[in-house]
Amino acid sequence: MGTRNHLWLAAKRTLTWYLVGFTISDRYATVVSVTGDSMHPTFTAASSSLRGDVVLAERSCLQKYQFSHGDVVLFKCPSDHRELFVKRLIALPGEWMQLPGTPDIIKIPEGHCWVEGDNAACSWDSRSFGPIPLGLIKGRVTHVIWPPSKIGRVDTKMPENRISPL
Amino acid sequence: MAGPWPLLRSILRNCVAGTLVGVTVNDRYASVVTVRGTSMNPTLEPQQGDRALVSRLCLDARYGLSRGDVVVFRSPTEHRSLVVKRLIALPGDWIQVPAAQEIRQIPVGHCWVEGDNPDVSWDSRSYGPIPLGLMQGRVTHIVWPPNRIGPVERKMPEGRVMQQ
Repeated sequence: MGTRNHLWLAAKRTLTWYLVGFTISDRYATVVSVTGDSMHPTFTAASSSLRGDVVLAERSCLQKYQFSHGDVVLFKCPSDHRELFVKRLIALPGEWMQLPGTPDIIKIPEGHCWVEGDNAACSWDSRSFGPIPLGLIKGRVTHVIWPPSKIGRVDTKMPENRISPL
Repeated sequence: MAGPWPLLRSILRNCVAGTLVGVTVNDRYASVVTVRGTSMNPTLEPQQGDRALVSRLCLDARYGLSRGDVVVFRSPTEHRSLVVKRLIALPGDWIQVPAAQEIRQIPVGHCWVEGDNPDVSWDSRSYGPIPLGLMQGRVTHIVWPPNRIGPVERKMPEGRVMQQ
């Protein structure tokens, strides 16, 4: 009787912590590990043995959709819904921006945004697939939490002279 | 000393546990939404105050969505609002666009959605295919009002989609 009671308590406690974890991860903040080179040097990609940088992404920005230029955001890939991408937010709805490498200026449609990797040479981003709906965004990356040498905030950063808000 | 505290504590603990279970179920498995707008008449009728049960289980790795399902997704032009429409075509399908006399292919990772009431529906016919990543769930049942409780059927327009 004593052991069963004990087991029951332990099970209940474990379940509660799972639920707390799920809730926090779904609504407030989550931890993801970065793979791929597209955000170099902000994040380093997975090497062969280690799985690369681990970052903290907050989700509370999604309730009000408060984003600003230069934020690093987490979003679902527009052409593969199973994959999460991490890129930098360059332009917001209604803004005019210059396409890199061309003299063209385009307007970001309503409810869309423009995302680019920091490592332009090997990033697959809005320059290939165009503006993406803001509804695909799943969070904003605020901190790097692993490896220990890189722990710290992720700064917002903007390429110069690319957008002209109208 | 024992007083009311143990009782209060246990009530409080149960409340917190209940809320957590509710929030988790709502975020991950199923939730109830109220339908507004007449774009899905007669399947969903806002005049009657229809409330629909949305299952999110279809969103896991396998993406168990099929053509003809009624789905809930984030509007591609207004990220704060959720929209309910019928899923007509999946990636790779060819679809005949009713207004224009053309046949187009749905790009990878996208889908085509339309309302059941074409006259008042603002859907893929205006904004084109949308990314599957916007999907938030599948409408499975109407749960309120009582006289309309029942499952929501899968339905497809005839002869417009060439499946891949």
